[in-house]
This record gives sequence, C-alpha cells and structure tokens, in this order.
Amino acid sequence: MDKGKKILLICGIILFLLGAWQSQKTVDKERKKIELPNVADLQNAPPMLRFTTIALGGFRGIIANILWIRAYDLQDKDKYFEMVQLADWITKLQPRLKQVWLMQSWNMTYNISIKFTNPEDRWRWVMRGIELLRDDALRYCPDEPLIYRELAWFYQHKIGQILDDAHQYYKKFWFDEMNRVLGGKGDGYIDLVNPQTQEQKTRAEILKNKYKMEPSIMKEIDERFGPLEWRLPEATAIYWGYVGLKKAKDEDRIVLRRIIYQSMQIAFQRGRIIFSKADEVPLYGPNLDIVPKVNEAYETMMAEEKEKIDTVKRAHRNFLRQAVFQLYTHARIKEAKKWFDYLKEKYPDDVQVKGAGGDLDTFAIKRVTEAINENDMNMIKSFIQGFLQYSYLYLAYDDEQRANGYFLLAKKLWDSYQSRFVPGQKVERIALPPFEELNKAVLTDVLDPQNGFEPQLRAVLRTKLNLPPEPQNK
Amino acid sequence: MQRLYAIIWLTWKAAFRFRLIWVISVLLAMAVVLLPLVIKHDGTARGFTQILLTYTLSSITALLGISTLWLACGTLARDIEESQIQLVAVKPIPRWQIWFGKWLGLITLNMMMLGISGACVYGLLIYRSAKLPEKEQQILRNEVLVARSSMREQIPDFKADVERILNERLKTLTLTPDEVRDLRKQIEEQVKAAQQIVPKDYRREWVIDAKKALKAVELGRPIYLRIKFYVAQPTIGATYLCLWRIGSDTSKQVIELEQRLANETFHEFPVPPDVIGSDGKLVINFVNRNQTAVLFPLDEGLEVLYYEGGFLMNFVRALLIILFWLVLLAAIGLAASSFLSFPVAAFATMSVMIFFFSSDIMRSSVEENTVFGRDHETNKQINPVMDSIMLPLFKLTVKVVDLAQAYSPVDYLSSGRTISWFELLSAFGQVVVLLGGVASAIGITAFYRRELAIAGST
Repeated sequence: MDKGKKILLICGIILFLLGAWQSQKTVDKERKKIELPNVADLQNAPPMLRFTTIALGGFRGIIANILWIRAYDLQDKDKYFEMVQLADWITKLQPRLKQVWLMQSWNMTYNISIKFTNPEDRWRWVMRGIELLRDDALRYCPDEPLIYRELAWFYQHKIGQILDDAHQYYKKFWFDEMNRVLGGKGDGYIDLVNPQTQEQKTRAEILKNKYKMEPSIMKEIDERFGPLEWRLPEATAIYWGYVGLKKAKDEDRIVLRRIIYQSMQIAFQRGRIIFSKADEVPLYGPNLDIVPKVNEAYETMMAEEKEKIDTVKRAHRNFLRQAVFQLYTHARIKEAKKWFDYLKEKYPDDVQVKGAGGDLDTFAIKRVTEAINENDMNMIKSFIQGFLQYSYLYLAYDDEQRANGYFLLAKKLWDSYQSRFVPGQKVERIALPPFEELNKAVLTDVLDPQNGFEPQLRAVLRTKLNLPPEPQNK
Repeated sequence: MQRLYAIIWLTWKAAFRFRLIWVISVLLAMAVVLLPLVIKHDGTARGFTQILLTYTLSSITALLGISTLWLACGTLARDIEESQIQLVAVKPIPRWQIWFGKWLGLITLNMMMLGISGACVYGLLIYRSAKLPEKEQQILRNEVLVARSSMREQIPDFKADVERILNERLKTLTLTPDEVRDLRKQIEEQVKAAQQIVPKDYRREWVIDAKKALKAVELGRPIYLRIKFYVAQPTIGATYLCLWRIGSDTSKQVIELEQRLANETFHEFPVPPDVIGSDGKLVINFVNRNQTAVLFPLDEGLEVLYYEGGFLMNFVRALLIILFWLVLLAAIGLAASSFLSFPVAAFATMSVMIFFFSSDIMRSSVEENTVFGRDHETNKQINPVMDSIMLPLFKLTVKVVDLAQAYSPVDYLSSGRTISWFELLSAFGQVVVLLGGVASAIGITAFYRRELAIAGST
C-alpha cells in the first residue's frame, strides 16, 4: 500500500473516531433524558457480571432478546425447568433495567406457579420470584422503589391474600420459616436486635443473610405501625415498603405508602395469630390493638396524598366502620364507642352512621345483617370469633341464656357460610376452619393470662366449663 | 476405496493441523463438566436432569455444528487457495471422490467427537442420578431416563362435516376466498368443540387402542396419563376438580381418581398398567363437576404414555439424529467452499444458518398468508405485490427447514419420549439422503467444474 493511501486511511479513521465521539455525547444525553440506566453505574456486581456487561456491549440486548424469546417459547409449551436459568441470564445481561427484574419475578411468582397443582411446587416458584427480587434485584438496583413495591406486593398479595388455591400452604410455610427464625414469637426480632446467646446470634444472621431483614428496622417499624405479628406475610410486606420508602424520591413514595397502608389494613383484619399447631395452618384473628396506628397511617396518607384524597378518605371511612364493628363484636365496647364517635365526628354525613341514627348498637346490628350476606371469609371468621368471645364473656358474667344465644349465632353463621358451597366446588381456599377449631381457639384466647379476660372472669369461666384451675406462675 | 481412505486421512490430518480438534475438545469438555456446575434449575431432580440433558446436548450440537461448518469450508477452500489440491487432483483420483472423501472425513471426525462427548454426558447422568434418593431415582427412571411412546384417541375426520356445513352456508352468502377460508376455520372449530368440550355435570369418554402398551403391562411398568385442559371461566390461581374412572369391564382393574388440577398446563400421573382391557382397549372417563365447562383439546388434551424401552438406546438414536445434522452441515460447508473462497464460504454458510434459524418468523408469515401485514379494517394485504413474491420463497424455505428440523432429539430425551427407529430412518432419509444429497450434488458439480490451477493466484 502506498504512503498516500495510508495517510488517507489514517485520516479516515480519525474522522470516524471524532464522529463517534461526537455522536456518543448525543447518545449519552438522550440516555439521561429517557432515564436509561448506565452500565458503568453497576454496583455490587461480581467480576464476571461486570466483565460480561462491558465485553458484550450492545450485543447484550440481542442475546437478552433471544433468551426472552426462548423463555416465552418454552413457557408456551409448558416447559419450566429452564426458566430459573433463563431468568438468571436475562436479568444478568440487563441488570440495571428494573422492568426486566419485575417481569421475570412476576412471571415466576404469578404465571408459572399457578401452572402447578401441588402447593409445594407452587411455593417453590413463588419463592423463586421473591428471591430474584430480594436477593439479586436489590443487590444491583438498591435504590429502585418499584422493586421494593413489587417485593412487598408478593408478600401482601400472593402469600397474604386468598386468591391462590395454595394460599394456606404459603401462609403456613412462611409462618414456619419466620417462627423458626424469630424463636416462636411474633415479636421475636426484639431478641435479635442485640443478640446475647449463640443461638440468638445464629438466628439474627439467618434473618439478615437469608431473609435480608434487619431487626433494628423491624423494631422501628413496630414502633411506628405495630405491634405487628412478624410471622405473617403482611408484616414483611410493610417491612419492604418501609425500606423502599426510605430510599425513594418524593415522586416515587406514593406507591410505597400505598402498599404499607394496604398491608396495615390487612394486618388489622387478620394480623394476630390466635392458635397455631404443628402441621396446621395457624388460626388468625383481627389485630385490634393496631387500630390507632392504622388510623394514624390513614391520616398521614390523607395529609400526604393530595391528589387522590377522596379515595383515601373513602378507604379511611371504611376502615373506621370496620374497626368499630370489629371492636364491638369482640366485646371491646368502650373502644368501639370511642371510634364510633370519631367516625361520627370525622364523617358526619356517612350513610351508615346516619342510617343507624348515630347509635352504636343499631350500627353494629345493621353491619351484622350485611356481613352475613357477604362472601369475605376473613370477615365472617372474625364475626364468628367475636360472637364466641361474647358467648364466653356472658358465660363468665353468669348470663347463660345470652351466652347460648351468641354461641348459637356463631354456629348459625358458620353453617350459613359453609352451606354456600355446592358439592364439587373447590372450597379449601375460601372455606372456614372447622367450627370446633374456631371455638377452641377463642377459648384458649380468652383464657390466656396475658391477653385474655380478667383473672376473675377467667376463673369463673374455668369453673363453668369444668376446666382445671389456671396454672400459677412460679 | 484406498483412494477414499487417503482423502479421509488427509481431512483428519488437516483437522488436527488446524488445532480445531483440540480447541473443540476443550470446549466440549467444558460443556460437559462445567455446565452442570453452573446451571440453575427449578429445584427438582427431574428439572436438573432435564436441564442437564438439554444444555449439554445443545452445547455439543452447537459447538460441533460451528466447527463442522468451519472445517468443511476450510479444508477444501484452503486446499484450493493454497494450491495443495493441485497435488491431489493430478493423482489418479476422480474429483467426486476427493469431495466425497473430505465429506466422509468430516463425518467420521464428528462421529468420534460426538461419541466421546455423548458417552461423557450419559456417564454423568447415570452417575449423578445414582446419587439421588431412591424416590427421586424412581421418578427419573419412569419419567426422564426412559423411552416412552404415546397413544392418543383417533381424531375423527371432520372434513366432510365441515365441507357440508360450509356449502350450506355458501348457498346464501357471497364471500371472497379469504373470507371463505376464515369461515371454514370457524366451522371447523365449531365442529371440533362438540368433541372437545365437557359441559358442567357431563362426562367425556376416551377409548384408546392400547395394544402397543401391552409390553408395559407385562413388565409391570406404570402407564402415564398426560392431560391438559382449559376452562370456560378461568380463575387465576384456581384448580379444578377432575374425576377419572380408568378401565373397563374387560380390564383386571378399574381405578377411580379424584384430583384437583390447574388448567392450561400439562399434568402427568401414573396409572397401573392393568387398567388396559383384555381386548387391548383403554377406556378413560372424565366427569366434570366444576361450575364451568372444561375443554380437552383433541390434539393434546389426553395422551397415554407407556414404557417402550430403556434410555440408552434412545440416547444413541438421539445422538444419531444430531450426527445427521452434522453430516448435512458438512455437506453445506463443502458445497460452499467448492466455488467460494474460505472467508466467503464461511460467511455465506453461517448466514444461511442464521436465515434458516429465523424460519419461525417466516412460518408465522406463511400462516397469516402475508409478509407485510393486513389492513385491520378491510383485512386486505397491505403490500400484495411483495407478498406474492416473498410468500412462495418463505413457503419453500419453511418446507426445506422443516425437513431438517422435524426431529427434536434433545426435546424428546428431556421429556423421556421415544425416538423410534422409524423416525431415525426418516431423519436419515430427509436430512442425509435428501438434503445432504442435494448439497453434495451441488458441491461435487461445482468442484468438478472449477478450474483449480488458477485459484491459487486469487
């Protein structure tokens, strides 16, 4: 090649490099504008991942696309054994794209899990989705609020709600796992804030390393929103919402606040474990102790969420109605009265309050009539528990007639709810526990020296029911 | 024959000279040894075995495929470019034998590499599965490390019914050919629905000719029902009650099963083999006690899987199909290098491969009968001229690709399905004899007509 040609080529190279440099600036500007993540920002990534992301450059997208196509093809054919690996590769090729993490985890937790019949198989996929977000996504995108929101949602909705046929299994499994790590107590994290014994230290390590939860943050949450039952999924949902909230920018906070308040509402409805036995799903009841905290949360939300204030107000009013009624049916009349007054004061035009003429008893009775026609399993269960509690209370007060009346009402409500299912219809998901089990749980609850009836009432009740005297504390 | 051996030997020497053999050997060893250590699976032994089989065999196929193309292009094109072929061509050997010898050389080389890596994969599978608990081993022996064939109910021929209904409708309607096609499809679905749908509180019976499964009965091996159903009103996350009665008056045993199964996915469950009647018929009844209608598709709604043989022979047949593909690739590579230089031949063959791997896109265009799409309102082709040119080309490509891709040995192995001797034979016919034959005919003709003495100057 002659000299002139070489010089010409070198000039060409320089020209193209300058052009590339110039266009790179424009591309970088555009990236910033549309908030595309920068690979150079990738933190906490293992060397192999950093190498792959840089070495493959723009080809990463093409490879990721091919993997997506394969994943969807396999899913169409109901072949799932490769999904974990494909999701791992896809997310590792695009670790800073939050949508990739969200889609892959949602796919496993919601779309793939339901393809299996065995609850064990379903649970494995639900956990795969949760682990993908909790263990990997948060490692690479620690400041991404939507990932926290999604993680919280999986706990609150997939495990906590009753839409999945296997929800009881999920709840049981999660309860067992947290029960082990929290030392058999709903507030077992307290021992793990400053663990003293070796056993506590081991549990604290598991909580931090496996479940990625900090006991000190749990304590902070409990003080603000609790007391929560940490063995239930909604408490974990609140945890992830709260952690995300700390890292979120102003405009992203709303989604995290919502998930916290929704989870608190669930915690209020059934956030207390009444009774748990090995190999059985624990029996839940409403956590009436957190009514003031839930109310406070709603008020904060109303103050913060100006745009959708009407929606929040409606939710708040519904919560107050429910709180009054739950307190009433659980024989906590004083508190019910207090919150009923608050409801009247806050929402004087409320149809239900007006319909009851501002009278608590009328309000409660009307709600019972409505509730009996409802299909909400948690609500019905809570009514039955409330009636049974009343039954034992009147028995302790020596009013057997009334006690029998409430007992019969509870039984009738149970029968009426269960009779809605026709033979062959799937009922496990939304069926109530056996009546005897509910009754036994309520009795255990009211006889509990810590949280049950007053000592005199407990003693009377034990005599009436021919139960042995309460064991004395040494 | 001696001349052929000489060319085969020269091809082997060239492969070792290129050091390709060593590189591929190292890569194959990595695929077999390292892959199982790094792959993530669904957490079950079955899933792990399936992914292991899929990934190791796919990697082996990909590595050997690329190296075969590279070597095929290199061995002939370089010989021509570097004028070494002139030394061979002046010997008393016809040109077709030179070409054929190189092809055989590549085939034997692939046989060796595939044999060794296949043996490693097999050994690894057996070794790892032996370490599993007995229950898991049982699952693997029955569902993955096995060769199972399948039986289905005879699908009734709906064509006559569909045509009759269509003709009746056409008496009162004036439709364009496209609309007639759509209407035919619609009627077909309606006719099928009568067979597929099980309304609430109704029963559906399948009678399957199960004589082929009698060997499984003799061996006491379970047979498997593989089912998939849809429901009219699905609820996310719900399962549906499936009441089964399997067996008939002529069978030794009749079993009744009550299951709750998820919709829109495959389920496999074992049933004792003696539910098959003495007349060789397997009668299966399903009762729908759900609140919604249930639909079992005719093609994949219910299938009976039965033991037909061991895993080893199935594995060998799968490797043979992979070998047939490699034979075809070698022929394509050699054909390209018969008239192109090495870099151009390598580039061209790789491009053709990518083009063929995109056949799914072409297939969907062929199914939709348009490449450039249709107007949503009028349903007419947006670019009918281009469609009329492209569609025949796509159809031809899809047909050619289907000849080679009709067999999925890796898929079959990972789901424990039999690759029958008949399938193996037809794969040989289609891939090696037909496609390989065409490629070699083109290659030999081009090589025969090529002026070898001037090639080196380029």
